[in-house]
Amino acid sequence: MAGVLKPPGAFAVTPHKVSVCILLQIYAPAAHISVPFPFSSVAQHNRLGLFLLALTKACDDIFEPKLEELISQLREIGGLLHHWLTDHLTNKLSTLSSPDDLFNFFSDMRGILGGTDSGVVEDDQVILDPSSNLGMFLRRCVLAFNLLSFEGVCHLLTNLGIYCKEALSNCPPYEAQHLDDSSNDLEVLSQYENMDLENFVFEKVTEEIEARERASKRVPFHLHVPKALCGLVEDIEVLVDPKSKHGDKGREVCQYTHSTSDALRDIDPNGGMFLRTNWQIQGFLHEQANAIERHGGSYSFNAFELIMKQLQKYAPELHRVHYLRYLNSLYHDDYFAALENLHCYFDYSAGIEGFDYVPPSSGCNSLGRYEIALLCLGMMHFHYGYPKQALEVLTEAVHVSQQQSNDTCLAYTLAAICNLLSETGISSTTGILGSSLSPFTSIGISLSVQQQLFVLLRGSLKRAENLKLKRLVASSHLAMARFDLTHVQRPLLSFGPKASMKLRTSPINVCKELRLSSQLISEFCTETSAMTNEGDFSTAWLKNLHKPMGSQVLSEESGSGSFNVFQCCAQPSSIPGSVLQLVGSSYLVRATAWEIYGSSSLAKTNALVYATCFSDVSSTSDAALAYVKLIQHLAVFKGYKEAFAALKIAEEKFLTVSKSRILLLKLQLLHERALHRGHLKLAQQVCDELGVLASSVTGVDMELKTEASLRRARTLLAANQFSEAAAVSHSLFCMCYKFNLQVENATTLLLLAEIHKKSGNAVLGLPYALASLSFCQSFNLDLLKASATLTLAELWLSLGSSHAKRALALIHGAFPMILGHGGLELRARAHIVEAKCYLSDPNFSVSENSDVVLDPLTQASDELQVLEYHELAAEAFYLMAIVFDKLGRLDDREEAAASFKRHILALENFQDEEDPLVNML
Amino acid sequence: MSSKETCRNELRTAIRQLSDRCLYAASKWAAEQLVGIEQDPAKFTPANTRFQRGSSSIRRRFHTHESTLTPASGVLHVSTPVMEEDEIVDGDIYLLAKTYFDCREYRRAAHVLQDQIGKKSVFLRCYALYLAGEKRKEEEMIELEGPLGKSDAVNHELIPLERELSTLRKNGTIDPFGLYLYGLVLKEKGGESLARTVLVESVNNYPWNWNAWSELQSLCTSIDILNSLNLNNHWMKDFFLASVYQELRMQNEALVKYENLLSNFSFSNYIQAQIAKAKYSLREFEQVESIFEELLRNDPYRVEDMDMYSNVLYAKECFSALSYLAHRVFMTDKYRPESCCIIGNYYSLKGQHEKSVVYFRRALKLNKNYLSAWTLMGHEFVEMKNTAAAIDAYRHAVDINPCDYRAWYGLGQAYEMMGMPFYALHYFRKSVFLQPNDSRLWIAMAQCYETEQLRMLEEAIKCYKGAANCNDREAIAMHQLAKLHCELGRLEEAAFYYKKDLERMETEEREGPNMVEALLFLATYYRRQKRFEDAEVYCTRLLDYTGPEKETAKNLLRGMRIAQTSSPSLDFEHFTP
Repeated sequence: MAGVLKPPGAFAVTPHKVSVCILLQIYAPAAHISVPFPFSSVAQHNRLGLFLLALTKACDDIFEPKLEELISQLREIGGLLHHWLTDHLTNKLSTLSSPDDLFNFFSDMRGILGGTDSGVVEDDQVILDPSSNLGMFLRRCVLAFNLLSFEGVCHLLTNLGIYCKEALSNCPPYEAQHLDDSSNDLEVLSQYENMDLENFVFEKVTEEIEARERASKRVPFHLHVPKALCGLVEDIEVLVDPKSKHGDKGREVCQYTHSTSDALRDIDPNGGMFLRTNWQIQGFLHEQANAIERHGGSYSFNAFELIMKQLQKYAPELHRVHYLRYLNSLYHDDYFAALENLHCYFDYSAGIEGFDYVPPSSGCNSLGRYEIALLCLGMMHFHYGYPKQALEVLTEAVHVSQQQSNDTCLAYTLAAICNLLSETGISSTTGILGSSLSPFTSIGISLSVQQQLFVLLRGSLKRAENLKLKRLVASSHLAMARFDLTHVQRPLLSFGPKASMKLRTSPINVCKELRLSSQLISEFCTETSAMTNEGDFSTAWLKNLHKPMGSQVLSEESGSGSFNVFQCCAQPSSIPGSVLQLVGSSYLVRATAWEIYGSSSLAKTNALVYATCFSDVSSTSDAALAYVKLIQHLAVFKGYKEAFAALKIAEEKFLTVSKSRILLLKLQLLHERALHRGHLKLAQQVCDELGVLASSVTGVDMELKTEASLRRARTLLAANQFSEAAAVSHSLFCMCYKFNLQVENATTLLLLAEIHKKSGNAVLGLPYALASLSFCQSFNLDLLKASATLTLAELWLSLGSSHAKRALALIHGAFPMILGHGGLELRARAHIVEAKCYLSDPNFSVSENSDVVLDPLTQASDELQVLEYHELAAEAFYLMAIVFDKLGRLDDREEAAASFKRHILALENFQDEEDPLVNML
Repeated sequence: MSSKETCRNELRTAIRQLSDRCLYAASKWAAEQLVGIEQDPAKFTPANTRFQRGSSSIRRRFHTHESTLTPASGVLHVSTPVMEEDEIVDGDIYLLAKTYFDCREYRRAAHVLQDQIGKKSVFLRCYALYLAGEKRKEEEMIELEGPLGKSDAVNHELIPLERELSTLRKNGTIDPFGLYLYGLVLKEKGGESLARTVLVESVNNYPWNWNAWSELQSLCTSIDILNSLNLNNHWMKDFFLASVYQELRMQNEALVKYENLLSNFSFSNYIQAQIAKAKYSLREFEQVESIFEELLRNDPYRVEDMDMYSNVLYAKECFSALSYLAHRVFMTDKYRPESCCIIGNYYSLKGQHEKSVVYFRRALKLNKNYLSAWTLMGHEFVEMKNTAAAIDAYRHAVDINPCDYRAWYGLGQAYEMMGMPFYALHYFRKSVFLQPNDSRLWIAMAQCYETEQLRMLEEAIKCYKGAANCNDREAIAMHQLAKLHCELGRLEEAAFYYKKDLERMETEEREGPNMVEALLFLATYYRRQKRFEDAEVYCTRLLDYTGPEKETAKNLLRGMRIAQTSSPSLDFEHFTP
């Protein structure tokens, strides 16, 4: 800070610290006994020690606990001793009534510290090692007290009075002993009544918040965000417990509203509440930042904003608050607040606000690391769907990082640019990215966006490896895998000797990259600093005090029992959350890869692995994605009933996620089902809703946009509006081609083939089907290829019975894939086409080989009935009835005909049916 | 408008009443206005009019549009009857309390008045308690400084005071002074709308308490709020409105109000200073300077508003005048934030930026919410190339008053210096939004768009157009517009702007490289358009200059003559420079 320099002592003596000192005195009296007086066992003694340690480390809150809270915690850990402990504590506190008492108290405190130089230590002596955590704490307290001016001592005394009075006024047994001059005692009490009322209201609010939180688990908008944050706090890792809300959050919130809405009706706000140590507050903020990034919009905006404002009031120079407020508004889609807070944070902190202490002099002279501001701003624009601005800002970040030679930031910026380029469709980057970024532009060769992306990906990976940024390496590998998944590698230079290359994507590379990214799990340790896990550990430990089972077991005297409990409830995972997130997302990429390559079972397995093993560390949006994949799988293989049942569960779980994939999934399922049941109006409606979801900016939400127009084309096709359907698919193809979406190209071509097939222009459909086939081949889209083959067979078949043999051969070629991995619809279609091929073959006699036809038809009709696909089911039953008629099995024929009629009627009179799912929209 | 005589009588009573209640600032203000009323020279000795000598000359000099100044007829001014005192003779106890108060022993004063029930006594007791609380708050602010900055110390008296005053108000046993105090307490506690109501009540009943008006003014943060206030028409309201307009950056409206007020209070230093303030915001430095010169002549020990005067002197680079001013305020009262600021300005002008930062720091120590000191300190840090510190200082200014366009501009400048033009744009946008009539801000933004990194020329053109629309003094915008259009190949627009630029330079009689550039462009442009006569005019004008352009002009002329005499189809492209 440029204006006023901070005092060096960033540690203030507060009433709570005095309490802890008193307890420390009980824990380590200057006596020569192995188990000092009030304790009956070593275990009990150790528990108090652990409790004290936890008190000095926990970062679950910004305020120090009040005396009554401390007493109730003591009750949890103290067991039988708690009466003695509380009595001692309150008595001791109430004896501190003049400045001199405080002086004497702190000089006594010095006595319980072991000397550093006294070499001889007796075996059973309890000595507080001056360099241990507790010893350090005590020393800091004593030092801070010695540094206090007389005014400071007076304040401490007043505050001690308030601290005790608050607790005592709530505990009738202890009579208030030293209520000094205050003539407004009564008022204080009346304010307490008010406060309790409000407390009650806020407890309700908190309950709601927590309920919402429970309903949702989820992540950062991309993988390296938490990492960038880590960079800011000098790589501190704090594991996050999703339910990190401490029980007394309600109280804080309430305190806050007191001090703002009717500002000072509360008693002296400085007297009642004290901030924890700097270290603990930073830990708290870091924890909250992670929580916000993981849970996104499900985090309650206002409750958190209130806490932050309060913190800002108490610690105006703690600028990270602005960052937290930025994150909070970012995930609640408040663009302007996010922008303001981001700028504010970096203006004040210059990107160098570190963890525990910044040497005060360095603030003035160093130049700051504003490139991080640019990185964050770029990611913010990206998050809000402004790729152009994002690219501008990130390019600037590259320039500034290079100027300041901040390699780490440069590496992250490049990764962010890669992410941006791969996620949004940008048709041309010329002139946006500086020439210094890629070696090729400097020699005057213009690259396509995809080539540039490839070069960038490689560059950023290499950079990350050189800088030993393990997490970045892992996420770069993931990005590489995603790139390889949908891109054919071609030589970058178009001149010179051409190596013979098959123009196909290479699944092997994808696997290799995924495997490399998973290696992170064994390598991360070099990067993590050990210091923060403690804080989290302590937080978890303190929180466990409130679990009922803890107190039960702990009240027993048995030492081993308490340790077991301790271990089983508060075991922190040794792997940082960000590492787990990265490893988890590699499973998601795997699932997607298998989905594209056409192995649905492997895709399902990977999604399942993710949902079961990583759900507690993953961000809510990633978890939602895994659920979406699983539900899609269900819909394709088990029909809509089960899918919708599962969807209901997922909807409840991800209730509050903004920009939800779950909503998208619901629309997809509804559309699919409406198409199958012939409910075209509903299908059209769903399509429109889908289209609205996408952002209007070009290049953003490409996935959504292609999905929407694909579905629009299919709806038109189902309505037999062929030319419109063809027009929509055509423009879709153009868009996909422009933005290089090859997989979608294959699908679109296939759809065009279908349109021509259905409109009766089989000859026109053939080239489309063949083109789609070749796309599928070069991108290894095996399942799509099978379905393209099927369409090709249908096209041939519709050219006349003379082509039935050729069609049959095609189908038989595709059968292994279709039966192995295809969903209900695809299998049914294949079976029907197979039967039709046989039936249209003039050499085929039904009476001889009836099973060859009937088997696939029954199977198809069963599957289609599950799907409620009336049109195809009717066709299957129609064919069956004809076959039965030929065979002379009249009863069967009648049955099949009745089924046919039923489906046809259902198709025509869908309005009459009661459809519970229509209301889902 | 009420006559001078009534104003005078009202003010005289008010001053007595205000100082009786120890509202010194308000009574000082009222007394200043009292002397500001023009006296009848026949009735008074020269000693009485001593304070009024200078101001009239200022008035004469800048009183240009007399005709518009006649007050709008039909406005009915409510004449509030001068308040009757409830205690005609002050009780002995009140006298004792007042002496304690005067010696700044507030708690003692309050204690003495504990059992008194007269309205005046109640007010003085409450006011003393309030001030005691404020004093303690100031002390605690220093004492309670935490590791992460100062936490907000609070005035502990606010809660009991609010309770007492609200009961009094409910019972109807509160006088306008009590209401003023109640409003003050409410404002401190954050109950803004109630505070406004109470203050309006107070000023409607007793309009001469300037303190109440200025509290009300600080609560009027937008024109809508101002319009929603239900104020009686009284001549004090005009003072209030003028000051609110000024705060809402409606300088011209404020000026009109002040000019109106001058007809009654023609010698008021206060009004002169406010006019200077408004003119300063309109960047009319000459006038501001002469107003301040007069002010200082009349009132040589004035420190208020002198920081603005120093800013003007700084802008005009008057070394000796600034040093003289600094010396004078230093001798008057060196521990006033304004004094420190003036000294800081002086050092800054001398190029001794470290020293000037020291003085700005001191000003901020005296008043940490001193807006212009933060901004000026930011400027110093920019000069010292310490961008991080500059950004910090500017950010403080912006957080104190988010409408300070200078600080936003400074922030933008600092980021631009660090090579982050896109990031800087955010700040320039803010400053332009707040002050859309300042061409410098538009130009800064345009230059950002123009940088090598961004090259967003279309946006730059838009910004330059904005600058050109608001009286661009340095005439950068026209030239840049012409250049940019030329660069984008829009020769027609380029020619248009070059021509405009040329016209302007002609009227302002400026010469320079821009002139040559414009002439050269126009000459080649018209030649290419085959408008040889126009081209010739420009070419001949170019001949007056030395340098390579002269040769080019000669070549052009020669080429044109050949073209006109021989076949016109020949192409003379290669003659273009």
